Amino acid sequence: MTTTRILTVDDSPSMRALLNHALSAHGFDVVQAEDGMAALDWLANNDVDVVITDINMPRLDGFGLIERLREGTRHRDRPILVLSTESSEDKKARARAAGATGWIIKPFDPAKLVAAVRRVAH
Amino acid sequence: MLHTPIEPARNRTTVMQGQALVSADPRAEFSTVLGSCVALCLFDPGANLGGMNHFLLAEPPRHDTGPHPDAATIDEHFGTYLMELLVNHMLVRGGSKARLKARLYGGADVNRTTMRIGEANADFARGFVNREGIELLATDLGGTSARRVDFRPASGQVRCRHVNDSFAPPDRPTIRPAKATGDVELF
Repeated sequence: MTTTRILTVDDSPSMRALLNHALSAHGFDVVQAEDGMAALDWLANNDVDVVITDINMPRLDGFGLIERLREGTRHRDRPILVLSTESSEDKKARARAAGATGWIIKPFDPAKLVAAVRRVAH
Repeated sequence: MLHTPIEPARNRTTVMQGQALVSADPRAEFSTVLGSCVALCLFDPGANLGGMNHFLLAEPPRHDTGPHPDAATIDEHFGTYLMELLVNHMLVRGGSKARLKARLYGGADVNRTTMRIGEANADFARGFVNREGIELLATDLGGTSARRVDFRPASGQVRCRHVNDSFAPPDRPTIRPAKATGDVELF
């Protein structure tokens, strides 16, 4: 059985530390990027099973990251979960239209986050 | 005869526990009274934009006979969320994280207990600001007296005064909003 590899994208070091702790404790292989651009750079040469991304980030935000990943064929079917403090229906609809797989509201519940990752991971 | 210009009336808003408010209005003033609670004031001098939050995260120990009976416990998930909420409000209004300047106030042990709830909150807030790489310009944390903080978000001006403890709100940890429970929606 292979380990599920997750890329988390968040500009907050505090949030990255919480995510790393929550996901690593459940046996996931966790890779982290500080914004959408760093995630794109890393994904150009690496693969993951699931991407978890914040929305409000410098350089390239979560919407832009999802759109860029869905442009090509390589990440067309990659599960992408948005993890955000935002909860407006407008923003959820925008993420859905861009190709997001799901939306999780911060502050996240580690058990719910892990269950969602397991559900969408291929 | 010379006339001293009369300062325009301020649009004053009290920042209640659990709130995070942001404004670029030059007439706006955010005010709060802190006991054990901590307030983070953020200012972006490039956007003339500021924001303030007000929180209490720590809870007294549940078992006095535990291994660390004097230690208060911090809900880091909720604390990080409350801080991120303020930062995000700033970014959405045109602020830049790289330009943010921080000031921290509060975290007093107003009840003179051994649980040091205020200290735990102050440590968390200072740690968050440091981890996020936000420049910390000033702090007035700890001690045993309550504080009143007045912050003008468009200029970044702050006035912090020590006040009678009776003005401080009681020590009740900030309640998680019902909608923010980590709910998952798959599309």
